[in-house]
Amino acid sequence: MIEARNLSKRYGETLAVDDLSFSVEAGQVTGFLGPNGSGKSTTMRMIVALDVPTSGAVTVGGRTYGSLRFPLHEVGALLDANAAHPGRKARNHLNWLADSNKIPRSRVDEVLGIVGLTEAAHRRAGELSLGMFQRLGIAAALLGDPSVLILDEPINGLDPEGILWVRHLLRSLADEGRTVLVSSHLMSEMALTADHLIVIGRGRLLGSGQVADFIERSGGHHVKVVTPDVEALSVLLRDKGATIVADGPQELSVQGLESRDVGILAAGEGLTLYELSTQHASLEDAFMALTHEHAEYRGTARLAEASSK
Amino acid sequence: MTRVLVPPLAASTADARLSGVFLAAIRSEWTKLRTVRSTMWALIITVLSTVGFGVLLTAVAVSQWDHRSLAEIRGFDPLLYSYAGLNVAQLCIGVLGVLVMTSEYATGVIRLTFGATPQRRLLLGAKVLTFSAVVAVVSLVSCVTVFFICQAILAAKHAGVSITDPGVLRAVLGGAVHMVLIGVIAVGVGAIVRHTAGAVAVLFGVLLIIPGLVQLLPAPWNNDITLYLPNSAGAAMSAVVRFPNLLSPLGGLLVLAAYAVATLAIASFVLVRRDA
Repeated sequence: MIEARNLSKRYGETLAVDDLSFSVEAGQVTGFLGPNGSGKSTTMRMIVALDVPTSGAVTVGGRTYGSLRFPLHEVGALLDANAAHPGRKARNHLNWLADSNKIPRSRVDEVLGIVGLTEAAHRRAGELSLGMFQRLGIAAALLGDPSVLILDEPINGLDPEGILWVRHLLRSLADEGRTVLVSSHLMSEMALTADHLIVIGRGRLLGSGQVADFIERSGGHHVKVVTPDVEALSVLLRDKGATIVADGPQELSVQGLESRDVGILAAGEGLTLYELSTQHASLEDAFMALTHEHAEYRGTARLAEASSK
Repeated sequence: MTRVLVPPLAASTADARLSGVFLAAIRSEWTKLRTVRSTMWALIITVLSTVGFGVLLTAVAVSQWDHRSLAEIRGFDPLLYSYAGLNVAQLCIGVLGVLVMTSEYATGVIRLTFGATPQRRLLLGAKVLTFSAVVAVVSLVSCVTVFFICQAILAAKHAGVSITDPGVLRAVLGGAVHMVLIGVIAVGVGAIVRHTAGAVAVLFGVLLIIPGLVQLLPAPWNNDITLYLPNSAGAAMSAVVRFPNLLSPLGGLLVLAAYAVATLAIASFVLVRRDA
């Protein structure tokens, strides 16, 4: 379990992390979500005592990371996937890490197997592909069999197969009762990977809660109906208290009724349906709603719109 | 869904003793040192330059022997040419020592290192000790080797000395200690500066450029200050004859050790305070 209390970090004039408080529970994947430059990496560096907070404190399992001896047994971190000497072989990269925390060398072979790098163990880190490098970083994080894992953008640079693999790995680590904190700026990825979310923007906590609640709060879901009998169906559904918006000549967006109810009602009147489906709001929508007030992001959005025209 | 099982390890070692942390850090640093090729190359060049230049310059001196005056022969230090190569060797050791720290900053490995051993002062100690031990072995081997080869060459002119003669063993060991202390200073400079090019520039500036600049000062300042520069202090340790422009061997050791301690003190101060 990770607990941050009023955590702040100032670099000169800029406040990178601003009075951040949150807790990361065991047994679930917690997504640490925020745009680039929002303070995710700085926060993660403070958790593992690489950066000293300007004020506030963060503990792992009730202790500050700096007070741990042989911390790899407690906490595994992937902060910078490129962190390896390019001239050192993959296995040796893990060997020195294992030595530093009295982890038996046999465990190095185990984690190489877990991340699928057994074949590449003798290759120099500089010769590994981006995806393999990422796997090596994850192997390093798993080395001490830690109960807490902290991964900064672990899917960066991975191919679809690799992304799926990381997703499954995080899930199984959480299912084993471990604390898993994983940062990303990709909301869609977090929707698939995380159970719980901590959302920050400009170093401040914007919200936290279960992923499902986040999506629900951002407008929940609606039922998409495509039918040739638009008018008849509209009347029917409005009578049952639904709110209806026409999305096209034959397409309706229905809120207030489940797709099941829409189907039963239409069948009762003998109306033809071409399509009937539940549409969930995306985490992107939720995220945009949450960060909407932040001028910084609006500015970037406008720039993106302008350049796409 | 594929399940990836992570088998549990032995019980937590979170409350281990600091001495255990230190020993593990030494073992880890040793693994780091011997698993990059630059270490081996720098050490090979160190040995070759120590032995090669010593033998070459001694051989040249012997070939010119008959042109020397009696006063020159009487003031001849039998180890002076033998250890001329240390001037080059110290640069190899200096660069390697700097890289012990700066290569970790350049590759981002320092974050893994501090993550694995958050006790940063202790970690610096482990790095210094491990590197010093390697330099000690390599320097001792090369200093002893070059001593015996050079003395064999000098024996032709009956100018050689035996390892059992007064002050000779001390001078041979002094050459190795000189290299070890330069290595310690280099690790410290690397920790303070963090960038390879900058740290090498600082080190070479101190070892190569400052002595030349000091010589430009008016007498007697130039000679008085030169006595206390790292180069001269180190050279004093491996001299058999007492030169007027060098400190005593013990004085040289104390001065060079003071540089090393001061550098490490600054390094450990900034290492703990700076974000990684």
